[in-house]
Amino acid sequence: MHISEGILSGIALAIGWAGTLAGTYIGLKHTEPEKIVKTALLTSGFFLASLINVRFGPVATHLTLMGAMGLILGWSIFPAVLVALFLQAVLFQFGGLIVLGVNTLNMALPGLIVYLIFRGKNLFNYFMAGFISVILGGIMLSLFLWKTDENFINIIKIIMTAHIPLAILEGVITIFINRWFENA
Amino acid sequence: MLNKIIFLLLFLTGTANAHGVGYKNSDLKAVPLEFFYSTGEKMSYCDVKIFSPVDNKFTFQTGRTDLNGRFSFIPDVNGKWLIIVNDGQGHQCNAELEINSNLNLNSEQDIKINNNNNNNLILNSVLGVSIIFNLAFIIKKRYAHK
Repeated sequence: MHISEGILSGIALAIGWAGTLAGTYIGLKHTEPEKIVKTALLTSGFFLASLINVRFGPVATHLTLMGAMGLILGWSIFPAVLVALFLQAVLFQFGGLIVLGVNTLNMALPGLIVYLIFRGKNLFNYFMAGFISVILGGIMLSLFLWKTDENFINIIKIIMTAHIPLAILEGVITIFINRWFENA
Repeated sequence: MLNKIIFLLLFLTGTANAHGVGYKNSDLKAVPLEFFYSTGEKMSYCDVKIFSPVDNKFTFQTGRTDLNGRFSFIPDVNGKWLIIVNDGQGHQCNAELEINSNLNLNSEQDIKINNNNNNNLILNSVLGVSIIFNLAFIIKKRYAHK
């Protein structure tokens, strides 16, 4: 889900940074002191999850935990994802610093959307939050890449092929993570 | 009349060159490259664009990596070559190669690869998690002081 440096136009980068800065500002306002340890734990999980490769046939992708983070952190997902992606860019060269705004928006906004939609604490909502967050992330990624290649249908086909199996897996993982945090 | 036209067509037209094709074995050395994601996965069947040192606007060569993420090309001038590999899903590798030779490319010294890959995965993972928790601790402490 990381977009590399040098692919996107200036306008796309500006949209990404504007959305990320606004989301992070609101996210910091919504982060209560008692939520900080939980935020750090999930930020670390997100930071490390990208290192876990998941292979579905010829397509390899990685975990995101966007759904779980969204449901547990709410608006605080923005600063959490921003910090994790910054460290990934610096330490692993995933994505990059200029494109950090777009990557943060791509991964935090789907988490926030599922947080706003799936409020009830049940297995169905947990699964759907994980599933839908990955699909939304894939659609946003396709929209950002659209301007680099006019063949949007082709882009979305490739990206969805890679992300639908991941979305199912993320749905299951979101159930386990939310259950664990409920019992903790 | 018809005979005159045929005569003119046969004798007054210019000679035409046929475009035949051929091939031969070449002893030119290619520069083989392998492309991979930072997690070790191979960049299979990705678009490749190569720009020569003399022209950074028009591609010298285009193509795709193979199943194993490999691609090779034969540089024709010395200097800094740029190879861009894009998987169409947001990942792009910009490789720079410095070719300094008589283009026989026999030794490793002929090709200098500007490789910034950082392979210390475990150490950087621990460092990243440590930074996140230290940051959380500092923020929590500041809240406590307030």
